Amino acid sequence: MIAVQGLSKSFGGLRAVSDLDFVACDGGVTSIIGPNGAGKSTVFNLIAGSLRPDAGRVELGGRNVTGLPPHALARLGLARSFQISNLFFGLTALENVRLAAQAQTPRRRFLARLDRETALVEQARAVLGEFGLADLADEPAANLSHGDQRRLEIALCMASQPRVLMLDEPTQGMSPAETRAVDALIRSLAGRVSVVVIEHDIDLVMSISDRVIVLHQGRKLFEGTPAEVRGSDAVRDAYLGAEHGAA
Amino acid sequence: MAAGALVQRLGAAGAGRRGGFGWIAPALLALAVALPWLVGDFYLRLAIEAFLLGALALSVDILLGFAGLLSLGQAMYFGLSAYLTALCYLHVTQSFWLVAMIVALAVALVAAALGAVAIRAKGVYFALITFGAAEIAGKIVHNTRALGGSDGLLGIPVPAIALPGVELPLRSNLAFYYVVLTVIALVYLAVTRVLATPFGSVLSAIRDNASRVPCLGYNPFWYKFFAYLLAAEVAAVGGLFYPLLRGFVGPDLFGFEISTQSVVMALVGGVGTLIGPLVGGVVITFLQSVLGSFTERHLFVLGVIFILFVRFLPGGLFGLSRRGRAP
Repeated sequence: MIAVQGLSKSFGGLRAVSDLDFVACDGGVTSIIGPNGAGKSTVFNLIAGSLRPDAGRVELGGRNVTGLPPHALARLGLARSFQISNLFFGLTALENVRLAAQAQTPRRRFLARLDRETALVEQARAVLGEFGLADLADEPAANLSHGDQRRLEIALCMASQPRVLMLDEPTQGMSPAETRAVDALIRSLAGRVSVVVIEHDIDLVMSISDRVIVLHQGRKLFEGTPAEVRGSDAVRDAYLGAEHGAA
Repeated sequence: MAAGALVQRLGAAGAGRRGGFGWIAPALLALAVALPWLVGDFYLRLAIEAFLLGALALSVDILLGFAGLLSLGQAMYFGLSAYLTALCYLHVTQSFWLVAMIVALAVALVAAALGAVAIRAKGVYFALITFGAAEIAGKIVHNTRALGGSDGLLGIPVPAIALPGVELPLRSNLAFYYVVLTVIALVYLAVTRVLATPFGSVLSAIRDNASRVPCLGYNPFWYKFFAYLLAAEVAAVGGLFYPLLRGFVGPDLFGFEISTQSVVMALVGGVGTLIGPLVGGVVITFLQSVLGSFTERHLFVLGVIFILFVRFLPGGLFGLSRRGRAP
């Protein structure tokens, strides 16, 4: 679904991402991991259109989407979440999700009366229900707990019925119990969309990933199944060594 | 002042229900319809002025309350519309409808050109661009002899509005009052309707969190652009009648004083409520008039009101139930 070829990006003299190739598998979970500063967020922003690559190519469903702005990518079926909850905090949970669903409706309906767009509201309620937020539908997003906000963040993505779901540290700041629940949720979504997860903590992604790509200093260090990543000496040296060795 | 207290009570009463302002607009309309029986000609003409400035405040609210854009130069469209109207009646035609069409078209063109530049800027830069553009427009008019320079244009003829089977003579205070009241009510309804749509909900989303909107698949540019056009046209409605009320136009119609006054009106009434700025327009216009007869320092009072509302009642008179605004 997402294919990246020769992706490179420099900031001044710093090569944040160098000549990166990978393919995110269809209907599976692909995780991109690496220690802080490995270039994960840059890769994420290059694919999601927030940054333009210096070189290389990004394909979404076989179509070249390199350098397209975020709104165009979103209409082509790419949904992204944010590491720090980036919601419409003054709007209710339902309004948040409805906005996401509405973005996929034809533009000629944009001057229809909102109170008659009941299909949108039902669609939004269904998504909230799926994410266990049905009871909080009329609550302003600002009033939700951290864990509920993180789930609303993903609900917003799924309401737009994407083909590719990109999650930036989806369980950041969650308790172990909440993390397990969200991991199960991500796993359950994998049949419907291709999921790309950016994660800093290697242990978090092992149980949910079909494929793991390890970044180190902007380059792909290793790619394989979670078991292969665990068994790799190179990964242990570069990644685990940097983290756990220092501790 | 009694009107202000009344409005506040009405606002508080309406705050209990979500979207509970539904009955307040008709109640205010009934009061406005009855006004000619309650007050004399002086206050009737003051009410006309209040409605026209209220339209400008409504225009500010479309930008500030929905798209999250603070315009400090919205008077530009008020002035542009007023001058075009005056020039048309003086030199071109006496047909109200033709003048209205010319003004609507010209304002759309200017707003499209300026808007395309201004809305790319964020926050204070948008405010500065709109402020600067209005100041430039005012200075150009001020320095153009053909436009009357600093004296403005005088002796603007007052037309009658031709409707099927009837002519409404705007020379009559009563007819003028009801025409303006009808037009402003229709503008309010139209704006309310346009914003109670998916289009309006995206504007609210932009105001709430502009950074997330593109990631959902919306291009914020076009939403802000059409909101800017709509706001300019609403401001132009005020300018379309103002020269007929005063009989003259001057370069100060483009000025910072009118722009900021309209922001204060929107704030006092309640930003994001649409009805609030119209009420704010009435409250501030009457207040200015009453204070103006006592002191030269009424602008000072306006500033104090602004500070007090920002500090203690930032939602304005109607803002007690912010969630009652159009979604």
